[in-house]
Amino acid sequence: MDIQKLLYIDRRIIYLLVAIGALIPIIRPIGLPVVPTAPVKGLFNKIDTLGPDDAVMISFDYGPSSEPELNPMAAAILRHLFIRKVRVLVVAIFPLGGVSMAIQQLERVSQEFDLQYGVDYVNLGYKDGGQAPMKAMGVSIHDVFPADVDGRPTDEMSLIQQVVNYDDIDVVISLATGVIGEWWANLINAQFGVDVAVGCTAVSAPKYYAYLRSGQMIGLLGGLKGASEYEKLLIDRYPEARELYGKPEEAKKSAITGMDVQSIVHVIIIAFIIFGNTMYFALRRSQRR
Amino acid sequence: MRRTLPLFLTFVVGMFPIFAFFVPHRAVSDLNQQLDTWLVIVAAFALPLGVVNLVGSNITKIKRKQKGWPYSIVLLAGLSVMAFYGIMGGEQGFHPKFQYMFVNMVSPLQATMFSLLAFYVASAAYRAFRARNIEATVLLAAAIIVMLGRIPFGDMLTGGRMTPLSEWIMTKPNAAAQRGIIIGAALGAASMQIRVILGIERTYLGKGQE
Repeated sequence: MDIQKLLYIDRRIIYLLVAIGALIPIIRPIGLPVVPTAPVKGLFNKIDTLGPDDAVMISFDYGPSSEPELNPMAAAILRHLFIRKVRVLVVAIFPLGGVSMAIQQLERVSQEFDLQYGVDYVNLGYKDGGQAPMKAMGVSIHDVFPADVDGRPTDEMSLIQQVVNYDDIDVVISLATGVIGEWWANLINAQFGVDVAVGCTAVSAPKYYAYLRSGQMIGLLGGLKGASEYEKLLIDRYPEARELYGKPEEAKKSAITGMDVQSIVHVIIIAFIIFGNTMYFALRRSQRR
Repeated sequence: MRRTLPLFLTFVVGMFPIFAFFVPHRAVSDLNQQLDTWLVIVAAFALPLGVVNLVGSNITKIKRKQKGWPYSIVLLAGLSVMAFYGIMGGEQGFHPKFQYMFVNMVSPLQATMFSLLAFYVASAAYRAFRARNIEATVLLAAAIIVMLGRIPFGDMLTGGRMTPLSEWIMTKPNAAAQRGIIIGAALGAASMQIRVILGIERTYLGKGQE
């Protein structure tokens, strides 16, 4: 067979194989095992120590483009917090849809629990200015968000009366695309000392390891794998989570199911890389002869 | 005056947060907080500035019938409709139609665009990832280990060794390299800021202000 032809294989063949590889696990899930890693356990174990007297801030710093990787993370973390009855403050710093992501995920998860808005959780909405509102919340969260996402005054909410600034927050979790997750680590953790964890897309994960290793972050969830590991920890630890993820409509949306697709596509890409290199060396050898 | 006043303001506003960071006095921190509040307001002005720029450049494109001008009409229509319902929604911008368009139009469009990446990445990896020299071979080996470490198959094939190996690459060589990049970028940003504060770098004043 002509090596040159194999080396420059029609890209449509690659597209077709990737499409088939992605479709098969969607139609028939494989259920591959998930092994949690230390960066994910870091956040899970921290939240596992929190209770009703504690508060966590979740910043939705991503848009629809990162939805498949970060939505399962958001759902799993919110479920963990609500199971442990930790109070949750939701904000959005990312302008291209962060607040819409927050609304969708909060609506989806909060209805699974018996919660009171303004007491157990609050959605403060979007604030423009990036680092400026993040820094200003170190003084007063109410001053930055005088009204919630629906325009209701926050000074009437007991949660905002009790949680004044970062001193009253145990962990800030940024579900981030782009640079905003880094700001939470290098600005808010450094200046206010609040624990920070980041959930990010797989492509952004490498840069966060520097902050994780330096102790500026307590946990890191990288891409769909990070989300699936968190789901696994949650399912193993809490029967109510097992019940939730056992529902067919939730199982379909879970990162554990998504990992089947990612696994097959990764294997296809690796196979193509190995095949391409084999053909490359075969061509070089034949040219030398 | 047109040059001196902005330079003076830049110096004062630039120096004060640095001063406040090291001086834990109530009056200083109160004023610094006030500056942070102003920063939120000033940052908000960047949005209309961007909109004006975008509208201006696309109107010019339509007028001159430049290549792809019909797309500019779609862009301006989308911008106008979303902005209209955004403003109608009040402070947080959540008119039901705004949210409807976001969920049913913006979200699927972005998801479609980014889902195509899987196909392009597979094709590009096949064509570009070649062990042409030692550096490329090291990169290739690290990439395959990390890719296998990110999926359960890797551990199934190696008896659970792939995830720890992949984590080692991420936490040791990768973190070290990332740290170098971050520190380098931070030093560059700090030196640039010092140049701006001290009035050495003046390009932000605009053309003809020097």
